[in-house]
Amino acid sequence: MSMSPFRFSRRAGLAAVATLALTLTACGGDGETTDTASPTTDATTSDEATDDAEAPAETVDLTVGVIPILDVAPIYLGVQEGFFEEEGINLTLELAQGGAAIIPGVVSGQFQFGFSNTISLLLAQDNNLGLKAIANGAQSTDDPMEDFGAVVVPGDSDIQDLTDLEGKRIGVNTLNNIQTTTINQLVREAGGDPSTITYVELPFPDIVQAVANRDVDAGQLVEPFRTLSLNAGDRNLGSNLAGVVDNMEVAMYFTSQAYADENPDIVERFTRAINKSLQYADENPVAAREILGTYTNIDPAVAEAAVLPRWPGEINRDTVQLLAELAVGDGLISAVPDLDVLLP
Amino acid sequence: MTTVATAPERRRRRLSGSTAALGILGLFTIGALLEVLPRIGVLNRRFFPPSSEILTTLIEQLGEGAFWTAVSDTLRGWAIGLTIAMVLGIAVGVIIGSVPFLRDVTSSTIEFLRPIPSVALIPLVVLLYGTKLQSALILIVYAAFWQVLVQVLYGVADVDPVVRDTARSYRFSRWTQLRQVVWPTALPYVMTGFRLAAAVALILQVTAELVIGVPGLGRNLGVAQSSGAVSLTYALVVAVGIIGIAINLFARALERRILNWHPSVRRDVAR
Repeated sequence: MSMSPFRFSRRAGLAAVATLALTLTACGGDGETTDTASPTTDATTSDEATDDAEAPAETVDLTVGVIPILDVAPIYLGVQEGFFEEEGINLTLELAQGGAAIIPGVVSGQFQFGFSNTISLLLAQDNNLGLKAIANGAQSTDDPMEDFGAVVVPGDSDIQDLTDLEGKRIGVNTLNNIQTTTINQLVREAGGDPSTITYVELPFPDIVQAVANRDVDAGQLVEPFRTLSLNAGDRNLGSNLAGVVDNMEVAMYFTSQAYADENPDIVERFTRAINKSLQYADENPVAAREILGTYTNIDPAVAEAAVLPRWPGEINRDTVQLLAELAVGDGLISAVPDLDVLLP
Repeated sequence: MTTVATAPERRRRRLSGSTAALGILGLFTIGALLEVLPRIGVLNRRFFPPSSEILTTLIEQLGEGAFWTAVSDTLRGWAIGLTIAMVLGIAVGVIIGSVPFLRDVTSSTIEFLRPIPSVALIPLVVLLYGTKLQSALILIVYAAFWQVLVQVLYGVADVDPVVRDTARSYRFSRWTQLRQVVWPTALPYVMTGFRLAAAVALILQVTAELVIGVPGLGRNLGVAQSSGAVSLTYALVVAVGIIGIAINLFARALERRILNWHPSVRRDVAR
């Protein structure tokens, strides 16, 4: 099970670099995890496992790729509350900057699980990367004015509603992804022509600045930047996420199809633990806000004011279907994929 | 060091003293400017906090364990990567440089591979090693290796033919020739390569941390940025800058120490 054919062919293709890489591994100094194979049946039974009669016989070490944002608070809470330990899972959370490393990391077996937005997962499925979503990651609220995402304009901007976005420049953090697709849909629903919009790709912190400097006419933000921007006097046009549909499935936890096939038991245990964590976070927003201080540098006052995503313990399937249809409409993917393959 | 200083030496010292003072004055001026501009509204304070605020945040960071863990992660990756690049660069450089045939065969390949920016390898290393230190090491070694290699090649080529022929006529063994003739000539070049490679290695270590998420100061910087923590972001940038200066000073000190016999470093030689 250590090497899926997929990964092997990738590596073979990169033989020259891999050789160099292997030399480096030898000199690398940290011998902890030189084996990229997923450490599934690690028989080094830890103390906790023997103490805890409830826990399954073996403890597994799992690594999950996450982004240092508010949305992943539940998994940190779940670790703190021992929900993963209960399932015999020793969880390591790796902060992959910007999320670029997460899908490749899961595909190559570097991470067993990852966190990604729904459109990115649909794109990956369209490219036959063999991913399997296993749990909800973050959902929008059901109130467009009170959601963790928002389209903002300077306080004194002429833009009053969504149709005014026609022909304007909008800052988004990724082109051709969930934010552009949903903004297009909002403008379309309001009777505007989304093809007239110019999207400018900027990191979230820079969008706030670009809006303030009038480099863009509007910006799409998520928390904590939404709160920072509104506190500074920008105006909220509403959420492009909750604005399209209530409780939109914005992001999900996923694994690779190969890993899911080989380790159904571990996937089941992980899914139980993450769903419990999600529900716990949904019911304990205070705890969710507090845990932010452990893995982000969000100002506590901002963390207090920020709108949290909704974290129910199941995937909102209909909204995934809707996002897939919108992605097809925008030409991001060729056809609506078989959701029975992507979703559990 | 204290008793007798020759006239030129004294002049040198005074000069270097005043250069340092000017440097500090320049730094102070910029600091003062960055303190005032945000306060009077020329720079937007939301995005450019006054330098005193940045400094306070930096001092707060000095008390945090996580900060020092990140510093040691960054320095560890830098040191390992630099060492590998130096060893590889010197070994390959001496071998290629000593054999004219090899030099001719490889020169176009080296010139082709050398300008490829190491950061272009990021998608590749992410696939191979994800956020592990190895990702950073590949980037560092790829970038720093060429700096060292090219210097070593020049150094080996710089050997005085008369000295080389003399060594040969005395039937010096290859190893002795290498140690007594090639190495002393190449050493100043090696040290230049070291200084360049040391700076490049830090740049790529921090890039890997910032872009990929390899543990270290760069990753903390990325987290601060995605948390909207503006003054912490700047404080970490300053911290990385200070490390860069420290590394450069270290490389120069090492160069002076190792080359203390060399005319370019010796003070008693007329220049």
